[in-house]
Order: sequence, then C-alpha cells, then structure tokens
Amino acid sequence: MVEKITAYRFERLDETLSQLNREDCAIIAGGTDVMVLHKSRRGVPPKIPKPIVFINHLSELKQVYQHHKDLHIGACCTYSELLENPLIPFALKNAIKTIAAPAIRNRGTLGGNICNASPAGDMLPLLYVYNAKLLLRSVNGNRMVTISDFIQGPRRVQRFHNEIVTEIILPSVLEDSHVVFEKVGNRNADSIAKVSFAGSIRISKDRIDDIRFAFGAVGPTIVRSVDIEKKLVGKTIPLDGADIAAIGSAFDKIIRPIDDQRSTAAYRKTVALHLLRYFLSMKQYQPN
Amino acid sequence: MIKFTLNGRTVETDAPATARLLDLLRDEFELIGTKEGCGEGECGACSVFVNNLLQNSCLIPIGSIAGADIQTIEGIIETEQFKILDESYSIAGGVQCGYCIPGMIMASAALLSKNPHPSEDEIREGISGNLCRCTGYNMIVEAINLAAKKGDGLW
Amino acid sequence: MNLKNISTSVPKKDHKGKVSGQLPYISDVKVENMVYGVLYRSPIAYGKIISIQLPTLPEGYEAVGAEHIPGPNYVKIIKEDQPIFANEWVNYIGEPILMLTGKDLDILYSLLNEVKVEFEEHQAIYTLDEAIKQKSVSSVLANYEFGESLENISAIEQGAHQIIEEEYDTGYQEHVYLEPQGMLAVYKDDEIIVQGSMQCLYYIKNALLSALACGDDEVRVVQSPTGGGFGGKEDYPSMMACHVAVAARAVKKSVMLVFDRSEDMLVTTKRHPAKLKYRTALDKEGNILSMCVDIFLDGGANVGLSSVVLQRALINSAGVYKIPHFHAKGYVLKTNTVPNGAFRGFGAPQSFAGIESHIGHLSKLAKIDPLEYKRKYLVKQGDPTITKGKFRDPILVEEMIEDVLNVSEYKKKKEDFQRLNQQNQRYKKGIGTSLFLHGCGFTGSGERDHIKATVKLVKSKDDQVSLKISNSDMGQGILTTLCKIVAKELDLPFEDILYPYPDTKEVPDSGPTVASRTTMIVGKLLERAAKKLKNQWQTGVEQEIVEHYVHREMIPWDEKTFTGDAYPAYSWGVNIVEVEVDTLTGNIKLEKVYGNYEVGKVIDERIMKGQIDGGLAQGLAYGYLEKMTSKQGRIQQKSISDYGPPTSLDVVSIESKVFDNPYADGPYGAKGAGELTLIGGAPAVQAAIEDALQTSFQQIPITPEVIIESLWMKEGEEG
Repeated sequence: MVEKITAYRFERLDETLSQLNREDCAIIAGGTDVMVLHKSRRGVPPKIPKPIVFINHLSELKQVYQHHKDLHIGACCTYSELLENPLIPFALKNAIKTIAAPAIRNRGTLGGNICNASPAGDMLPLLYVYNAKLLLRSVNGNRMVTISDFIQGPRRVQRFHNEIVTEIILPSVLEDSHVVFEKVGNRNADSIAKVSFAGSIRISKDRIDDIRFAFGAVGPTIVRSVDIEKKLVGKTIPLDGADIAAIGSAFDKIIRPIDDQRSTAAYRKTVALHLLRYFLSMKQYQPN
Repeated sequence: MIKFTLNGRTVETDAPATARLLDLLRDEFELIGTKEGCGEGECGACSVFVNNLLQNSCLIPIGSIAGADIQTIEGIIETEQFKILDESYSIAGGVQCGYCIPGMIMASAALLSKNPHPSEDEIREGISGNLCRCTGYNMIVEAINLAAKKGDGLW
Repeated sequence: MNLKNISTSVPKKDHKGKVSGQLPYISDVKVENMVYGVLYRSPIAYGKIISIQLPTLPEGYEAVGAEHIPGPNYVKIIKEDQPIFANEWVNYIGEPILMLTGKDLDILYSLLNEVKVEFEEHQAIYTLDEAIKQKSVSSVLANYEFGESLENISAIEQGAHQIIEEEYDTGYQEHVYLEPQGMLAVYKDDEIIVQGSMQCLYYIKNALLSALACGDDEVRVVQSPTGGGFGGKEDYPSMMACHVAVAARAVKKSVMLVFDRSEDMLVTTKRHPAKLKYRTALDKEGNILSMCVDIFLDGGANVGLSSVVLQRALINSAGVYKIPHFHAKGYVLKTNTVPNGAFRGFGAPQSFAGIESHIGHLSKLAKIDPLEYKRKYLVKQGDPTITKGKFRDPILVEEMIEDVLNVSEYKKKKEDFQRLNQQNQRYKKGIGTSLFLHGCGFTGSGERDHIKATVKLVKSKDDQVSLKISNSDMGQGILTTLCKIVAKELDLPFEDILYPYPDTKEVPDSGPTVASRTTMIVGKLLERAAKKLKNQWQTGVEQEIVEHYVHREMIPWDEKTFTGDAYPAYSWGVNIVEVEVDTLTGNIKLEKVYGNYEVGKVIDERIMKGQIDGGLAQGLAYGYLEKMTSKQGRIQQKSISDYGPPTSLDVVSIESKVFDNPYADGPYGAKGAGELTLIGGAPAVQAAIEDALQTSFQQIPITPEVIIESLWMKEGEEG
C-alpha cells in the first residue's frame, strides 16, 4: 500500500510561491510541530493530507536585519540562530531559552511557532507585547498583518493558501522598557507551558508611559487587552494596591483557561494573576 | 529520489519525503545506534547531526534533508573525540541501561564542539533534551566534564 | 585485572557495546520470515464482548485471538485472572482482544482501524475512592490484617490525651524506561524462541509453557539487552511473550511486537496509587501510645502481583520505627483501569511516604524537630519487627544520621532558611529528612518455597568461567558486579569471567531479577559456587558447578497470620533534601540532596553511586514532579513531557556516602541496594516543602497545583 506523496523543495522563494499559488500545500519549516501533529504510530511516516512544501532551506527566509526602527526576522530562522544573533533583544532570547531543548531549538523556527498557533506557543506572549507584525508574501505581492489578527484560535491562522509568512517584524524592540517573560512548565526543559506571562513597562519621570501584558496557555489564543493596559498609563510608580487589584480583577474576567492533562483551570488562572500582580508590584523597573 | 551525505558517504533513497530520518537510518541503512524512545522529539535517543547541528531524527522528514550532511553515532565512532567520550563515560560511570547513550554521546559531542569548557549548568543545558531514566544524570554530567578536560584542545 | 578490594570499580562489561550504540536491543533485531504484530485493544473500561468483526485481510495478513491459544487463556503469574486475549469480558481500556500480523506496519494500523467489536457496556469503577466506597467481596483482590488486637488498642485510645487521624494519598508512577517494551517470537518447527526486553526469564517461560501447552524443550526465552526495567519489565513482558508466541505458532512466522511510547504509557503497569489511613493515640507530651494503619491499593483491572505489593506495603507500614501497639490492615481493590504492578520499591515507597509524613506531622504537634522525634522511635538491633520477626543485624542509622546532619549543616540551614524566608516574599527555602529501610529479597519464605534459586558455573577447557543464571542486566550492572564476585573468589582476572545474555536453554532458574535480591541471593550462590570450583579446579578440563539456595535461619513466615521474619536482612538509608518553592507559581527547585546508605558491603562503588543517583532522581520526582492521572478509565498523560520525568536540569548533584556493615549471608557482606535508593526521595522532598511553606500536605506528588491550592486556602484562613 504505497501511497503517493507529493513534496516540493524549490531553491528559491518565488518558485515556492508559484507552486503554492497552483496548489494548496502543507508548509513544513523545521517540522517539529507538524511531524508530531500528524504522527503515525511507530515505524510509519506521518500522514499529511496535502502535498508538502519544504521551506526551511530558503535563504530568503533566514535574514535578520534592522530597517529604520523595525527589526525584521526571517520566518525560517531557527531558535538557535536567533539566540546567536546580536540584533535579537535580550528578553526574546530569554524566552527562546525556555523552548524545549537544544536539538529542537536547532530545528524549530520562529515562523513555525507562530503558524502552529498553539495557545501555549512559547514565543507568542512576547510577540504580542512587541506588537509584532507578520509579512505574508504571495505571487500577488506582500501583505502585513498584526500577530493578534493573524492568530485566530488553536492551530487556526489567517493565511491564504498561496501565502507564506516570510518575516516577523518588531516595530520597536522596547529597549527603553523593562520587559519580562515567565514560563511556567512542569519541569525545567522539554516542557509545554501551563501558563506564561509577558510584560513590558516604560517609565518616564515616575509615571507609566507605556505598559503591556500578554498571557499564554490560558485561553484559545494569547490574552492581551489594550483597554486594560490604558487604565494604567499616567499612573505613578510604585502603583498603589487599589490600582493593582483593579487590573487583576479586570483580567480575572477575561482569562478563561481550561483543565487538561497538564494542569487545571484554577491553577492557570491563579498563577496568571499572581505573575501579573507581581509584575505590577515591583518597586522599580530597569530598561533591559 | 533524495540524495544526501551519510557519515561521509553520498547516499540516495527513494523513500517518501515524509519518511522520518530515524526510520530511514535504522531500516534502510541499518544504523541501529540511533534509537527510538518516544518519536516526538522528547527523549533525544534518536539524536544525530544535521550539518553539524544536533537534531532529533524522529522529527525530520527526509524530504527536508536533500543535500545535507548527516552524521550518526556510527559516523563518529572512529574519531578521537568519541574515544575521549567513551573513556570518560566509562570512568564516570555514565552508562547504565545504555538506551539513551548514543544520543547522549551525540549531545555531548555537539556541546563540546561548540563550548569546549562548559560549566556544570551549561552541561546540564546541553543534554537537557536527552532523557535518561537510570542515572539521574550526575554521572553523565561528570563524564562530559571529564571529557572536556581530557580532550582539551581537541574540540 | 585482578581485584584486591571488591568495592573498587572496574569498567562495565557492556560498556563498549552500549556507548557505541551497536549492542542490539530487541527493536534493532530483524530475523528472516518476520512479521509485525499489532494489538486491537478494548476501547471501553468494562463490558462484555458481543461480536468481533474483522476486515477482509490481504494475503499475508492474519488475525490471532483467544481461539489460537493452545492452553488456557490467561497469563500465568499468580492468579488466573488476566486473559491473554480478552474474549468474554473486557476490564480496562487498552486490554488486548486480538492481534493482527503482517509485514507492513502501515497496512496493519489501517486494518486495525477497521476491526469492529460490539460490546455490552457495564458500569465501571474508575477510581480507588469509588472502589473503597463500594468495597464488596468481588472487588477485594487481596487483603491482610495483623498486629495488636483492636480491643487493646481501643482501650488505649480511651485513655489517650488525643487521637490523630490522617488520610494520605499517593499517585501513579510510570517507569518511563527509555526503551519501550518489545518482544519477538522466533518461529521454528520444533521450537519457539522468545526474546526481548525483560527482567524475569522463567516467569515468561512458565507463562509460555502454560499458554502454548507444550513441552519444556519447545520454548526458549532469551533476554535481549534491556533498556531499563525498574519493575516495569517484571510482570508485563509475560503477557507480550504470550501474544507473540501464540501468534508465531498460529501464523508459522516470527512475530515482533514493539510498543510506541504512548502505547507503553497507556497500557503497561504502573506503581499502584494508594490511600493510607493513620489513627494514632498520643499522650499529653505527644508521645505515641498506639497506631492503626489501613492501606488501600488500586490494583487496576486484575490482581497480577498486587497481593505481593500489598504485603510489602504493609510490612513497611511502620517505617523504621518501633511503634507501641501497632495494628495494620490492607486491601488491594479492583478498578476498571490499567493493571498496576511492580515498580522499584514495590509497595514500600507508598508506605514510607505515608508514615514519614504522618510521623512528621505528629512531631509538629509535639513541637519537636521532626528528626529528633523520629529518632526517639528508631528501631534498634534485637527489636521485634511489626510482624513479630526480629532485626537481627547491627543497625547503623544513628551514625548515618549524625554524619549527614554534619555534612548538610542541617541545624544551621534550618535557622538560615527561617530568616531568609521572612525576607523573601516570593521564594521560600526548606529542608527535610527521611529515614527508611528496604527488606532484601523476596518477602517471607518466597525464596525457599517459591523461587528455589539454582546457579551454575561452567568452566571451559581453556579455563574461561561462565555464569549460567537467569538474571537480567537491565542497566543496574549485574553483568559486572556478579562477574566481580566470581572473579575475586576464583582469583582470576575480571575479564576472564563471562556472563552471556541468559537463555533458558542454557541457564537454570536462579529466580527473577526483582526485589533487590540479585546481588544478595544470586551473588551469594555464585560466591559459594566459585569457592567450590576453586577447590575442585582442574586446569584444561571442562567443569560445572551447581549451587542451590539455602535459607537463613529465621522465624518462619506465615502469610495467613502475617507473622514471622518478613525478610532475611534489611538495607537502610537517610536522606536530607533542600528545596526552594516559588510561591507565585508553586514550582519547586531542588537545591541540595544528601544520602547516607547502608547496604552491607558495596560490590562496586561506581555502580552503587549510579543506583543512588538514579534511584533518588526517581524517588524525588515521585514526590513532586511526575504526575499521572486517569479519567473515566483512561490515562491522561501519554507523552513523556506531559508526564514529566526529570531532565538534567531538574536534578542536582547528590552528596552520598555508603556505610560498611557486612552481612554474613550476602556475597562479601552485600545486601540489596537497587530499590532502597528510591524510597527516601519523596518523603524527604515533602518534608522540605512543608518546612518551606510551614504547612502540611496529605498527598504526593505535591505538584505546583497542590501547592497553589494550599497557599490559597491558607490565605483564606488567615483572612
């Protein structure tokens, strides 16, 4: 029972895009998620229901560069490549270090983490905080979309079948802000987040100038609320207890985690709020 | 037909592009040193080098390795580096059931070639994707530490 | 090399093959005319099979089921309650119903999807709590009761200052041996050779003789290099061996069955979840007047080895303490979940977690440091055991405690941590201890009455000596340690002693590789055989020496009254663990781990260190890290990362020491060591977490979820 499998591996991005325009394909970058998602039992190749296009060798998708204030990251950069790149902000590197283990980081890509759209995706909370935008390319040209519009639900993204995410663009790397990322997993390596939290805060003359937070693994997509963030802009540091409590209860209403084999809804919510309050209760914030 | 380099030799296969590198190595090329412990990239028993980088062969569709340089444990057995690791694992007592060991050796070699004098934390980090259920890791950490000293200048 | 001191480490016999990856484990083996087998498993937890409908099988593909079993349809272990292929009732999700065989796994998996089985579903029992509530005659798979009469205890309780009752729960533990289970039956016209990953060759052989209803020379069992066992390859491989052997007979081909990791996690045996109830009478000062312990083990769908696991749990129910007026009873209850079985420690880890927790909590009531309180009750040489046996040999625990207190600076740390914890709102540090023992070898008169071990040494013409025993090296190092014993006794170079992977055609039954018995029991027999061989040594002549087990003089064990010497000897241990708890997330960081052990005499220092570190890593993780749950009869964690055994970043280096206390009936004085090292981990980690958070827990694993809930409750209480 030899099934015919169609797979493409072009030398150039434009050829790849032309093929995608002709045919709906499954795109494989590092494959660390796709190969597990479609895994067969032992000894049998994964069953992927569409023709396959390999893209992780395309050099066009591996560039990292600064353009004006924007940092452009090629979608097929592996985590290890990003860890070694001086342009990548420190906070993002800290998040990368919490991903799986070295062998996976040598293969998994930033674009893949985004397109896999797992609620527990390790890179996502920070990318939301950075207001990351994605550059999608097709034979018809380029399109830019914010990460929060792109990711619509678990494993659901707003990508047309003829498009490839080519770049992740960070409009600002928040170098004047204090940025944190905390991943809560069941162990210290090779774990999937039970809860994660990213926060950034910029202070100007003891007042909050800009503040952002995002939570992972507590809902179908990353939870971020610009409305709640706005309430804190202009407040003085340290924040008083009532303000912190108000923000906590605002998020309490919109965080709706689930019970699963890794943790409980109650734990996820409690810890998400703990990490938020802890971030808000700090006495001082240093730009990193 | 997919062509690549395997342990220094050019090889080709007509296995489907989605076939796992792990199965190809074990079934077609009869390289049994690459073991399957989980099939999901969570144990590291199937670790190989792809273009000199440590990767889990259970997660690699062979269609993506056309033209790549693949090395398995069999490909490094004759090297000085392997001999040092072999000896260090023996002296430190890093081997019990042995099923994780080829993958662990690959991870050790990958770590040392990138960082010839790793700290204890860096060693732990370097093998953090390689599960061992027998040793509690400490004697493996010690083995790598020893290999770094014995193989000074070699990595 | 010739051995001066038996404890000095030597290179391991199997090192080269393992480090190069060229030693073939069962999944590395291919034989001619080999097909794969895959199992159709019950999708429901409890019910009657009404009909089985098979798809049309292509040529070369066959179905094998109960009708192909020549002998009775059960896996011979202890009781006849585990079908090889379920054909009437199914009792748990994942129970094997039939096997499909053929060349191509891809085709087999798709055929498996087309098998249709109709069931009449019945109300299942999913949890131990439900089973306890409904405890009926049919659901009790085993039970025992012993100790002081309840009338006497009741009288003592009436005069007591207070009575403390606690209920304690322990969870599943999954072995996660790195090599998943695998078994191959090689088909020959006159013989079936079963080879694979296993701990107990003769358990398998006996199961095959029964299933195949054949003569002794028609089946042969050969151990393959075994990638970890920890008890998980004690009883389960017997079932797989029956599957492949029955199939090989039916299809007249060699049949290979290798599990996926997820299949292995979902359907193979695990450590029994347990509930332990304590009822203790105290006087005004907090001294113990009497204690009653009830133990309930979740047996899963059939009894398997559970009755023996319960015995060990009960025998250890008072820990290392001499408790006045002690009474205990225990039950194994049936649930419609995956059967539970052997796991390093075999009932003792549950009991020690429970008793160490309880005694720790009593010390808090008495306002005495837990270790000080525990030392008041420590058993001494000559004391009776709770089963009216006797602790015959010297006990070094006091010295071991003193030493580890010094090394760890326990008292200073306790004070430092209290101060630090007041300053740091987020992170809290704690330090905890555990005291434990492990009875070496089979419980009671098992060695004498059931196992009756025999070993053989064979000397070839060229004067090479081979060990002929049925014990498995599964990583613990007996290929090396047992050869050392023989080499030293014969005064031969270690390299000249051979220990080929055992094959039942070649080796007598020296018993299973379980119960920390191999070094002490089999090692002693080999030592005696080697002595004999030395006396009779004739250069250039083939010689053979056979030795049989001799029972130590002790108080006879009576399983009915549960009295007598439960074990010939005991090994001992003390652990100290330091942790840091993140009160925002409940995450636990191990900071320092100390262990002092007494195992008679160490046969190889490096191998012993490997047992200490590996056993502790598992034992510590059992207490706080590894979490497996079952929901409606289905195991929820089917991947390694969801279950969460420790990675290299979760373990810290361990400071350990082994005390010499040679035991006359062990080789060079050696006792058992393998299981002991796991037992102290969980209770010490619990004590450390309790110390950090100044609170009490009634369960393991103490996961971050448990911690956060407890902190939340505490906040509520404190307003």
